Amino acid sequence: MQWWCAAQGIPWTWQWRPYPGVWLFVGLLVAGYVALVRRFGATRAQRVRFGLGLASLWVALDWPVGALGSGYLASVHMVQFLLIALVAPPLLLSGLPRAALDRLAETRVFPLVRALTLPLVALLLFHTIVVATHWPGLVDALMTSQWGSFVLDLAWLVGGIAFWWPVVCPIPERPRFPFGVRIGYIVVSTVLMTLPYIFLTFAELPFYATYELAPPVGTLSSRDDQRLAGLIMRIGGGTILWIAAGILFWLWYRAETESERSAARSGRDARALPLSRPPPPRSPPSPGTPPSRP
Amino acid sequence: MRDRGRYVRERTGLAAAILAGALVSSCTEPAIDRREGTEGLRGVELAEPLEVPAFTLADTEGEAWSFRDETAGRLTFLFFGYTSCPDICPVHMANLAAALGDLPYDQRRRIEVVFVSTDPGRDTPERIRQWLDRFDRDFVGLRGPVERVNEIQRALHLPPAVRQALEERGDETAAARDEYLVGHASQILAVTRDGRARVAYPSGIRQQDWRHDLPELLALDDALPSADAGPPGTR
Repeated sequence: MQWWCAAQGIPWTWQWRPYPGVWLFVGLLVAGYVALVRRFGATRAQRVRFGLGLASLWVALDWPVGALGSGYLASVHMVQFLLIALVAPPLLLSGLPRAALDRLAETRVFPLVRALTLPLVALLLFHTIVVATHWPGLVDALMTSQWGSFVLDLAWLVGGIAFWWPVVCPIPERPRFPFGVRIGYIVVSTVLMTLPYIFLTFAELPFYATYELAPPVGTLSSRDDQRLAGLIMRIGGGTILWIAAGILFWLWYRAETESERSAARSGRDARALPLSRPPPPRSPPSPGTPPSRP
Repeated sequence: MRDRGRYVRERTGLAAAILAGALVSSCTEPAIDRREGTEGLRGVELAEPLEVPAFTLADTEGEAWSFRDETAGRLTFLFFGYTSCPDICPVHMANLAAALGDLPYDQRRRIEVVFVSTDPGRDTPERIRQWLDRFDRDFVGLRGPVERVNEIQRALHLPPAVRQALEERGDETAAARDEYLVGHASQILAVTRDGRARVAYPSGIRQQDWRHDLPELLALDDALPSADAGPPGTR
C-alpha cells in the first residue's frame, strides 16, 4: 500500500486504493481550521470557501485523480496541478478568519510571509515552480517515489498560496497593489503560463517517461495525452485566471460604486446641512402681539 | 531614501535566490530511463548476432507466413507478446508505431514489424488483427502453437512464455473469470536483412530512442548482404 500517490508502473484498475498520507494531510488542515474557527470565529461564507478549497485539494490528491495523475496520464496530472495550485489556494486563503490573519501579522514568521507574498516575488516564485515542476527530468525523477510526488504536490500548493496571497489576503496591506494592478498581475500570469503550454502541446515527442512508459489507460496515445495536458493547462488554467480577474473587476466596480455613493451621500449631507440647522431662537413675543397659533 | 534602496535590494536578492535555486533543481539530469546503448545505438547490441530460425506461422488472415521469406532483405522488428498484456506489449507497440510513423515513406516501407502471440489460447487471428490495428495496420501478427513459439524464442535466447494465474497475484476476482497473465520476453529484436537479430530493445525504450536508432539501423541494414542474396550492392 502507498501512503501518497506515485508512479508504480503497474496496470491501472478502477479498484479503489487507500492513500493514508492524503487523509492525514487533509485531516491536519481540517483540524487546524477548526482550531482557528474556535479561537477567532469565521463567517458562514468563509467556512464554505475553505471547505471548497479543501474538497478540491482532496479530489486532486486522492484516488482516482491523484493515482491517475501521478503515474498514468499527463492530462490528469495537469488537472491535479490546476486544482492544487490555482483552485484550492484562493479558496483556502479567502476562507481564513480575518482575526487569524491579523494575529499572524504579529508573529515572527510574518516578515517571511510578507517577503514571499510581495507581488513580484510571488509571481516569480509561482511561475518558476510551474516551469520547474513541469520540467521532464524533474517530473520523472520525482514521480517514481512517494516522497518525490509529495514534494511536487506541496510545491504546487505553496507556490499557489504565494501567488494568490497578494490577490486574496487583506494583510499585509498593499496600497500600491490596488484592484487594477491585481487584474494586471493575473493577466500577466495567463501570458507566462503560455510557455509550458506551447512546449507540451507542440512537442513532437512525449516529454515524460513516466507517462510515455506507463501502462495504458484507455486508447489515448502518449502524444495525444501530452497535447491534452497542454490544452487543459491553457484552457482550464486560463479560464480559472480569467474568472479570478472577472471577480476582481466586479469587486473593484463594487468598491468604486460604493465609494461614489458614499461621496454623493456626504455631498448631499453637506448641502443639507444649513437646512438641518436648528431654527434661530425666536424673539420673545412683544406685549400686544397676538400669540401665534400652534 | 537609503532605507528604501536597501529594502528593494533585499527583496530583489531574495527573488533572485529563489529563482536560481529553482532553475538549478530543474536542470538536474534525470536518473531514469536513459538507455545508453553501445556503438551509438540506444538499444542493446547483442554480443553475437543471432540467426533467426526459419519458421512459418499463421498470419491474421490464416495464411502461412514464412518469416525468412517474407522479411528477406528488410529490416524487421520481431516481438513476442500477447494482446491481453496490460503494460509492456501495448506500450512497446505504441512507441514503435509512433516512431515509425515519423519516418519518411521511403524509409518506413523498408521496415517490417512482426508480432508473434505467446497466448494463442486467447489471441484469435481477429483479436490480434484488431489489436495491432490500434497501432499500425501494416504490423504483421502471427499465431501458432505455444510450444512452437517457445522453440523459436529459445533459439533466440529468449525465455519461453509462462502462463501466470492472477490468483498468485492476489487478484481472485480476475482468476474466477479465467483471466491470466503471460510472462514473456519484453524485448523487441531488430533483425537485419541477413536474418540475424543484432539489437534488442527492452521495455523502457522511448520514442526518442527509436527516433534516434531507426535511421542508424537502416544504415546498418543497408550495409549488410541479404540472407539469400549476395554482398551489398548486388540486390
